[in-house]
Amino acid sequence: MRAAKFKTFLSCRRVNLRTKVLSYEPAAISAVLIGLIILITFTLGCTQKEAPKEDSGVKNKEASHVKSEPAYGDAIIEGSIGDASNLIPELASDSASHEIADLVYGGLVRYNKDLITEGVLAESWDVSDGGLVITFHLRKDVSWHDGKPFTADDVMYTYKVMIDPKTPTAYGGDFLQVKKAEVLDKYTFRVTYKKPFAPGLISWSIGILPSHLLMGKDITKSSLARNPIGTGSYKFKEWKTGEKIVLESNHNYFEGRPYIDRFIYRIIPDSATMFLELKAGGIDWMGLAPFQYKRQTENAKIKKNFNKFKYLSFSYTYLGFNLLDPRFKDKRVRQAISYAINKQEIIDGVLLGLGVIATGPYKPDMWAYNPDVKKYEFSTDKAKELLNEAGWKNTDKDGILEKNGKKFEFTILTNQGNEEREKSAQIIQRRLKDAGISVKIRIVEWSAFLKEFIRTRKFEAIILGWNIPPDPDLFDVWHSSKTGPDELNHVTFKNAEVDRLLVKGRGTFDQEERKKCYFRIQEIFAEEQPYVFLYVPDALPIVNARFKNINPAPAGISYNFIKWYVPKNEQKYVELTQ
Amino acid sequence: MKKERFWTNFWKELRRNKLAVAGGVVVMALFVISFFAPFISPYDPEQINVEEILLPPSSNHLFGTDELGRDVFSRVVFGARISLKVGFVAVGIATVVGVFLGSIAGYYGKLADSIIMRFVDIMLCFPTFFLILAVVAILEPSITNIMIVIGLTSWTGVARLIRAEILSLKSREFVLAAKSIGANDLVIIARHILPNAMAPVLVSATLGVAGAILIESALSFLGIGVQPPTPSWGNILTSGKDNIELAWWLSLFPGLAILVTVLGYNLLGEGIRDAIDPRLRRR
Repeated sequence: MRAAKFKTFLSCRRVNLRTKVLSYEPAAISAVLIGLIILITFTLGCTQKEAPKEDSGVKNKEASHVKSEPAYGDAIIEGSIGDASNLIPELASDSASHEIADLVYGGLVRYNKDLITEGVLAESWDVSDGGLVITFHLRKDVSWHDGKPFTADDVMYTYKVMIDPKTPTAYGGDFLQVKKAEVLDKYTFRVTYKKPFAPGLISWSIGILPSHLLMGKDITKSSLARNPIGTGSYKFKEWKTGEKIVLESNHNYFEGRPYIDRFIYRIIPDSATMFLELKAGGIDWMGLAPFQYKRQTENAKIKKNFNKFKYLSFSYTYLGFNLLDPRFKDKRVRQAISYAINKQEIIDGVLLGLGVIATGPYKPDMWAYNPDVKKYEFSTDKAKELLNEAGWKNTDKDGILEKNGKKFEFTILTNQGNEEREKSAQIIQRRLKDAGISVKIRIVEWSAFLKEFIRTRKFEAIILGWNIPPDPDLFDVWHSSKTGPDELNHVTFKNAEVDRLLVKGRGTFDQEERKKCYFRIQEIFAEEQPYVFLYVPDALPIVNARFKNINPAPAGISYNFIKWYVPKNEQKYVELTQ
Repeated sequence: MKKERFWTNFWKELRRNKLAVAGGVVVMALFVISFFAPFISPYDPEQINVEEILLPPSSNHLFGTDELGRDVFSRVVFGARISLKVGFVAVGIATVVGVFLGSIAGYYGKLADSIIMRFVDIMLCFPTFFLILAVVAILEPSITNIMIVIGLTSWTGVARLIRAEILSLKSREFVLAAKSIGANDLVIIARHILPNAMAPVLVSATLGVAGAILIESALSFLGIGVQPPTPSWGNILTSGKDNIELAWWLSLFPGLAILVTVLGYNLLGEGIRDAIDPRLRRR
């Protein structure tokens, strides 16, 4: 599951998009399947899936272990705000598609519950030549859902798809670092890198595609986009667009047959409606919005019937400036805006305290996180001072600053459907007004947002989110070479030292060495404020209490999804299980 | 003399209609509230206070607070301003365009009539609300754009009314008299015909205000109308929808405001129509 790409989190509620490069997280709502989305994706979401910390789900563990034996059967229904776009994971960058694809496909490796790399389709691997060569020994007992055996040719095919410039994938970059890929025998695959590449191993968490079905065909026109065939723990059954996606357990799965027979992904594009469905029993699993977590799930009935969880999500939300705009080129202006925003107020008001202040692109429990960077304590006076220094003065006494006769006015863009972002924008608007800056808010539907504003760079400031992959490599988001229309450095941040550190950080396997690079990068970000890093929200999944063996770990709750079960006497959808 | 009797009768009729009077009172009250909004509302409607999120109605906050701790009463009061503004400007645009095109069509007839009335037919074929949605989605959503768009999509009714009136008026003696002394067309239309054709326009405008307020609320509810932080009844309702289980007051009060306002305009409009239309006049 790593793979190092980025999805944009867009909104918390509502979502969906079909864009190749940026993808978002329907977050709040689409609970928590995959362990982590490893690709960096734009998050649409607010609260988000994956990645755990504490368990507020009270009696979860005891209850699940004391009573009753694991049993096969039953179905789980997860609610999601957005529909999937394409079930070939290489071609989709939205989190809904990846969530389904992660169950249907498997990679060579993945992160385990403690975020350590472990084998999936690769039984083991040898690293040689100072990390330049990785030899994967593949499992011999794996077959595709259509019965054909899985071999090294499939891996080779997937690699070729990823490096083919015609493949519309956002995730090709890591594979272009490979100098040579070879199939040594039916179950041995070797890659050789040009130079040391730290995210190399985990990039092979990308879902492996069936070469016998795709070889020689145009992948963009493949029927697998809607009828995927993989090696994963669940088989695809049906997809009703905008309604639901149904998967069935793979009885021959090499890690053991999943206990839950059926996985249903229901699309409900409104968080309040989804919560009503949850209470009515129409869905079993969703991500809660902060208000739902704090005020609507605290009664005895909910506590008895559901387990809820809370942990820091792998995502952060930021206010990004278009650095091509001459006003935002001045560092003092960006710093002033940071001072003018009260981040704690946003966390209290929008997240109801369910989150922490972000100081950079990592979250506090990662090894790459630097706790000692410059912080911007809320101070309207300091903001005004800096703005004055930068030449912005209130000359006509209307409360709005001017420079060369032009008022300081700009528009914050954000995507529709993410209530948390809309509210944050309003709080920021208010605070900046106090500092003498007039802000307009414009809320745009997600796919138009990406196509017409992000791609074309036609924005002044945006509120968006990124997910945070466990590997700290941020080359794709911050390197000055990544400013093309479909690339992810959409604020056009260019800093020679950061460029150097990014290359250095991914080019060594020594964690201490890497840590130094990323610590320094965070110091630069803190000083430069290309984004105002706002907050890291908590993920707030809630699951029906009949599902047992859910054990939160650093990777979230869904890493052991195939081990979840419902005791025989509590099974709800019995008729489904022959 | 004749004119004065018309208005005296009109007032008498209108006053006898209790519902119309109630509607009139509501409309007047709205004007007062809008005009004195800063004095009536106890708080700044845009003041965010994260310590007072979603408080139920109390003596401090008459209508409770919203999801950012803003006072709902103040927001509803200021929302009245937006509604009135949108209602009147939109209807103003519709009336001006409708009267202009309707007069030309009715007075000149023939080709002008055909072209304008077929254009009206085309406009009527579009489902108005979706046309507005499409236009607002292309333009940047703002109060000004909404007023213009609503205005430019709702003039067809007025145009048809005016045309019909003019068709029946233009062959009347006083028009012939004006023509015979050499008055030009503009003078005839503006001085002689239009004043006599305005009664149905007045009715349609009053009802039109109610329609425009509803459309504005619907657009704001969908998030493409009045943009935050400006309060409008529609966007207060949106937060009401998002928090419907937690905060009934967020849906109830702006909803009531819309209901009462639209009802008021409709009652008044119907009252005016009854008072003007001699056939409906009771003895």
